[in-house]
Amino acid sequence: MSEKVAVVTGGAGGIGQAVVGRLARAEFRVLILDKNEEAGRDAAELLRRQNYDAEFHPVDLKRATEIKELFETIYAKTKRIDVLVNLAGGTLHKWPIQEFPLFDWREVIDVNLKGTFLCCQAAIKPMKERKQGIIINTSSNFGITGSPGRTAYSAAKAAVIAFTKSLALELAPYGVRVNAIAPGLTATARVMTGHTEAEWRQVTETIPMGRAAAPNEIAEAVNFLASDESGYITGQLIHVNGGMVFS
Amino acid sequence: MKRLEQRIAIVTGAGQGIGRAIALGFAREGARVAIADVNEESANTVKNEIEASGERALAIRTDVSNEKSVQAMVERSLKEFLRVDILVNNAGIFPTSPVEEMSEEDWDRVIGTNLVGAFLCARAVVPKFLEQGTGRIISLTSGRAFQGAKNGAHYAASKAGIIGFSKSLALELAPHGITVNVICPGITDTAQPRGHQTEEQIYAQAQRIPLGRIGQPEDLVGPAVFLASDAAAFITGQTILVNGGSIMW
Repeated sequence: MSEKVAVVTGGAGGIGQAVVGRLARAEFRVLILDKNEEAGRDAAELLRRQNYDAEFHPVDLKRATEIKELFETIYAKTKRIDVLVNLAGGTLHKWPIQEFPLFDWREVIDVNLKGTFLCCQAAIKPMKERKQGIIINTSSNFGITGSPGRTAYSAAKAAVIAFTKSLALELAPYGVRVNAIAPGLTATARVMTGHTEAEWRQVTETIPMGRAAAPNEIAEAVNFLASDESGYITGQLIHVNGGMVFS
Repeated sequence: MKRLEQRIAIVTGAGQGIGRAIALGFAREGARVAIADVNEESANTVKNEIEASGERALAIRTDVSNEKSVQAMVERSLKEFLRVDILVNNAGIFPTSPVEEMSEEDWDRVIGTNLVGAFLCARAVVPKFLEQGTGRIISLTSGRAFQGAKNGAHYAASKAGIIGFSKSLALELAPHGITVNVICPGITDTAQPRGHQTEEQIYAQAQRIPLGRIGQPEDLVGPAVFLASDAAAFITGQTILVNGGSIMW
């Protein structure tokens, strides 16, 4: 059984599955947190069949109490959380601003930003106590460039960057590092089904490298930040976008 | 599993400090390294260190500010290793003087080494990169690029220039799958800051660094290996800050 524990929210999604697979290969015991129970169980089962240590916990990131209780349960069992990856999130709703219902806007902010805050808050205690830990949050190229129809998502993803920097400053004295990744267009099933083949070609042509990211390329950046190789990196944002947006 | 097996790397300024650490780190990952340094003796010392560990290396006396010297260095490396996969632009100098006392020669020497040197080295390897259809360029900047440097305006300008140059080159080379990125160290425990700061001043800076210590050359190795490896194939035009949180960008 692996010693090191990684908790990955959104671990059953397209990027999430690549991330939990990569971390499993890096000898983490991976805990997949996701609202999608079927995909979560399947993802954990797939890893266990390859002899990796993986388990699934359903979670609704809109429920603060549920998150707190889940992390307490996890911590009681594992006695350690080495890495927290906050991947859960997404555009969820696209509306022109004049039509954007407040309910939808709040949901986007809550899932992407508040969910990240709540999971960090719930995971920090064991990290501070052990004076080690790594948190990796997920921003987006849209958090830098903005995107029409995605006012809420872009705002949430920009906010994740400032939140990450502030938390990095708070936790640096405890040796806990906090960084963020900003994936560009990534070829997940969810993203690709939203485009016709012609649309997809058109979108990828605007990317300097001429293609979307493969989910495993995002996972490699997460793995880098989750390793000792990035031991002197904190408060930073790593873009994986084929040159679409520069830091 | 070695991540740079069979790769050929050229590391400038690899005779000491961060460049040396990166050259040794690349060799540990299986790369063959050309150690390009203006100081031939220190280049040879690093070459011997690498060869003692069983990897091949080449020491080449190089003045990166000199077009002919750079061209000769790249030709020599290609003759020995037949290809080149990774260029690390690390060579740099940091003399100090207030702007009003800065001579044109001072200015030209700093820009010529730190910025023009990176351009010359990149230009010299790109034809081979295009022929191979692969390549990685990693250049070193400095926190001074963001914050400025009192008595080091030429240095700060050269290092900010590295970032603008790298983003532009990243756009030019992206269609060919060649990536160009920048690593930005903070204050690092090498000879360089000792040229203008006392030991006390250097270590006192740890108090202002969130992670509570100044950087070591080894801190830059992981990020450099990552950017040079297949794992970072879709990362280009980026600047990775490795500074214990002292600047967040």
